Amino acid sequence: MKLLGRIARDRVALAGLLVLAVIVLAAIFAPVLATYPQDVTTYHTAQRLLPPSAAHWFGTNQMGGDIYSRLLFGARITLMTAVIAVAVSVLIGVPIGLVGGYWPGFVGDGLMRVSDVFLAVPQIVLAMAIAATLGPQIQNVILALSLTYWPFWARLVYAETRNAKNEIYVEAAIALGVPPWRVMVLHILPAIAPSLIIRTSIGLGGTILTASALGFLGLGPPPPSPEWGRMIADARAFLPGAWWNAAAPGIAILVLVMAFNLIGDGLRDVLDPKLRGQARAVAAPAEDEAGD
Amino acid sequence: MTSESESRLVLGRRELALGAATLSVAAATPALAAGTGKFITANNNSYDTLDPHVVFDIGRIASRLNLYDALVRWTDDPPKLNMWLAEKVDISPDALTYTFTLKDAKFHDGTPITAEDVVYSMERILALKKGAYGLFSSVVKPGTTKALNPKTVQFRLTSPYAVFMAVLPEMWVVNSKMVRAHEHNGDWGAGWLARHEAGSGSFRLTHYDPAVGFAADRYAAHFMGWGPKYLDSIEFRGILEVASRVLGLEKGEFDALDGYTPYDQIKRLRGKPKVKILTEPSLRTMYFIIHNRRPPLDDVNMRRALCYAFDYNGFINNLLDGSVVRNAGIIPDPMWGAPKDLQGYTYDLDKAKAALAKVKGPMRTLTINALGGYPQSGQAAELLQSGLAKIGVKATIQSQPWPVVAARLGDEQKSADLIPLWRSAYFADPHNWTGYIYNSKQIGRGNLSFFSNKRFDELTDKALVLVKQADRQPLYEEASRILVDEAAGLFIYNTNYYGAFNDRVQGVRYCPIADAQDMRWQWLA
Amino acid sequence: MRLLGLIARRLVWVPATLIGLVVLVFVISHVVPNDPARIIAGENATTAQLAALRHQYGFDLPLPEQLLRYIIQVARGDMGVSLYTQTPVAGEIWRRLPATMELAVYAMAVAVLLGVPLGVAAALRRNSWFDHTLRVLTVSGLAIAAFWLAILLQLLFAMWLNLTPVQGRVSDFGPSGITGFYTIDAALAGDWSTELDVLRHLALPVMTLAFPAMATIVRFTRAGVIGTLGSFFVDYQRAMGVPWRVTVWRYVLRSALTGTLTQIGLVFGNLLAGAVVVEAVFDWPGLGQFAVNSILQSDYNAILGFTIYVGVMFIVVNLLIDVGQVLLDPRGR
Repeated sequence: MKLLGRIARDRVALAGLLVLAVIVLAAIFAPVLATYPQDVTTYHTAQRLLPPSAAHWFGTNQMGGDIYSRLLFGARITLMTAVIAVAVSVLIGVPIGLVGGYWPGFVGDGLMRVSDVFLAVPQIVLAMAIAATLGPQIQNVILALSLTYWPFWARLVYAETRNAKNEIYVEAAIALGVPPWRVMVLHILPAIAPSLIIRTSIGLGGTILTASALGFLGLGPPPPSPEWGRMIADARAFLPGAWWNAAAPGIAILVLVMAFNLIGDGLRDVLDPKLRGQARAVAAPAEDEAGD
Repeated sequence: MTSESESRLVLGRRELALGAATLSVAAATPALAAGTGKFITANNNSYDTLDPHVVFDIGRIASRLNLYDALVRWTDDPPKLNMWLAEKVDISPDALTYTFTLKDAKFHDGTPITAEDVVYSMERILALKKGAYGLFSSVVKPGTTKALNPKTVQFRLTSPYAVFMAVLPEMWVVNSKMVRAHEHNGDWGAGWLARHEAGSGSFRLTHYDPAVGFAADRYAAHFMGWGPKYLDSIEFRGILEVASRVLGLEKGEFDALDGYTPYDQIKRLRGKPKVKILTEPSLRTMYFIIHNRRPPLDDVNMRRALCYAFDYNGFINNLLDGSVVRNAGIIPDPMWGAPKDLQGYTYDLDKAKAALAKVKGPMRTLTINALGGYPQSGQAAELLQSGLAKIGVKATIQSQPWPVVAARLGDEQKSADLIPLWRSAYFADPHNWTGYIYNSKQIGRGNLSFFSNKRFDELTDKALVLVKQADRQPLYEEASRILVDEAAGLFIYNTNYYGAFNDRVQGVRYCPIADAQDMRWQWLA
Repeated sequence: MRLLGLIARRLVWVPATLIGLVVLVFVISHVVPNDPARIIAGENATTAQLAALRHQYGFDLPLPEQLLRYIIQVARGDMGVSLYTQTPVAGEIWRRLPATMELAVYAMAVAVLLGVPLGVAAALRRNSWFDHTLRVLTVSGLAIAAFWLAILLQLLFAMWLNLTPVQGRVSDFGPSGITGFYTIDAALAGDWSTELDVLRHLALPVMTLAFPAMATIVRFTRAGVIGTLGSFFVDYQRAMGVPWRVTVWRYVLRSALTGTLTQIGLVFGNLLAGAVVVEAVFDWPGLGQFAVNSILQSDYNAILGFTIYVGVMFIVVNLLIDVGQVLLDPRGR
């Protein structure tokens, strides 16, 4: 709560937080808020490609589905994909990074070499290969994103853990004979938590972009799923006539990702007082951009 | 359509005379003859191969039609069969021997086209077992085609085959010397011919990049001669995205689009200053291929349930704005052999549920494989999926480019349950829509539905042996009724052809076979 | 010596990383349930033909043996034959590589040439309207979906303003030349109308790719310059009476550039990733389009080959950046 209060003082971050809250609420209450909740699977072919109006706020698509309603249900897919994929990759990557950073010799090197292999190719390329192999389904998209994203976390935590290990309080704990897992969980993890939280916010935005690109390329959840990337791909055949068809999901992606990025920026200012100092100003953004 | 092969022969001679007349006009008035520049077509498929003997579809027909010639060729609407490389054909009374006399014609490298080349081309089709193989495999055996002399080639069929002349336009003649020189490990030059050209067609290949398309220059010495105006060069680009094709045409970057432009875009283009739309009745039925062998689709009640669950009216009148007409069966209604009183399925969820209740086997999620680059195919898939959801049947849709879908067709394990696509006219004969795609002998070749029905096989076999249209027609009508009753496929509509062109384009000769992609007739004003 | 040592240390790990990459991709692609022999054989293959093909391509061998053979083959620079087009994968990749590299290089150039000055300017005028406008732009640059931006630009510049072509790399089939970079080949041939045509085709895909890349660079440069400006070193220079302009140009910029350079590798990776979708939108005949097609065609060899090539490019670029960094910053890391 204290954290929220502090973020609230940063106007830009506050804006991001508000936008995110609106989108999350819209996704949760999609069945209530949607004007035509059945339009995800049912079509009204007589009402196709209608421009935005009082009846259809964002117009209708090529099958006669209400775009506003589909957008709300699409938000569920997008948020779920991003949250699960980031959570899974954090759960894989953080322990690996902790262990690697704690024993930086043979173990750490080995683990980092494994993550290097994954990092040797842009994330979307590997994710495409995995998603295509397993078949275009939402769970496969999530799996592909998780499998390709954990090394970023491993790398980050590895570096932070190595730094944290030289801090006096950690050295003291080790000298006092505290078991390694307790040092990692109780002493090191809290120390690196701020940068993890910042990265999570920005990572969620990046993951949404990657997931929607997979959807755009036809590797996302199959029709009639109102996944935003797919909605844009489907809308292309009717451009430039039915522009609203492609405009709404594109703006939705932009707004949602921007919200996550702004929150990330705000969190950095609030959470990581060290970053206020000049010495690490260069290093700080280096952490967040790597996740995109 | 003529009813007998004998009168076809006469027709052929008349066409020949016309061709010769054109030639002499062109030769006599060289001053008027003029090249009119380069013509770019934006096509919805890429050209992943140029080998004329490995693909057999409309999406990639431009490379075959413009770079190669065959003994005979379809032109115009209604389709006419013309003598092409052949000067005449003698058909034996038992309809088993076809003897063709060749015209004086040369390949692009200057070598004269001989009977040897024709024999090699037929043997190559039979050996590669791809593309139009299924059209010939049942009646032409390897080694039976003979070159009697350099100008005469003879085909010996194993049984009468009423459509032999009609399917011959897909037997593209390749330069046997050139292809032989590039054979590698007995591959019939397949590796080389996929990327190069060894033909005699109206245009000569200049550029080919599978990622972009192909370009060709006019072959001035083509044996058919040239009209007073012609194109200097042509280019076909594979562009998967409809919006890019349409925008490009509007801006004048392209001169023509493929024949599958969505009607929404056609409507938009109608008002545009630099664009003209050509509308012609066509012979192309849209339908879903149903995998008739894979449970539960092997149960006729399941297939009927599918046919009752598709919103024909919503698709034809709303999604396509009435630009096409309902076609109850698979044979296009304007074609002879299509029963005029055929009752098709209607969108009736009660009947669909009733049929579904009779299905014995266990239910499962059905797979629909839509064609990327063809928005209609995806829309039909989504509409069926939505109808099926209403009767409690789940279906998933996967969308892939046509060459990818095509590579899997006919594979009993890998082919999807349902594929929304078109049956175009490859030859103007009911066999194109019936025997070739549903006779059980064609399973793994033309029959991509794994449909097998004894009575249907009898009818379509018999229709191929008979010669007179009047005798064949009732057989095809009965066959067509069987397909509907058995719900062998989900038949939707017969299309009109909507060709979008730059308004400078002149001389287009539309033919339901190959749309308007035979470029030798066209020029730019 | 220090430099050589660094390069040597990095080089030692390159083969290990590459082998790991081959193993990784091999594992992914062999989970594919499709039968690769069927794709090669075509629609009408008999069971015997399929068996023969499986044998010919080694699909009937145990997976570890297939993997070992593949690693040895790759080590010789042979990526195998595309299962779909029957042409060598390495050849196809080399043919398409210039298209993607040309795109990436121009996008990188635009991003750096615009991004660095803008970032410096924003830092020097912190919290001005200029800084705020730029912040909005960069935040949206990092949040916009590349494929959506591509479509927007296509509608805006190709359709409404009619300034650029809709798609493709060149109107014709491009100039023939040794580099495969059409801009260079056309210039070498002195063919200026083609040069112009190529540039017009490049404009939209380059803009699409450069926008997010530029946003990243602006942010880094800005943060880097602000950081340096606040350091004791700058205070010291000021105290010593070194003119402000000299400090900025000679010291602040240099250290900011070093920071930016570390990001080039990252930006390059993002450019390659972006190229996949951008090439799909603009029908750009490059590696991205090749990757998308290969995946749609379940073409193992092509997917493997593409991933390995991208991996190699990536590793090389990162190596070059490390070297560049040492050169720029003598203290090393």
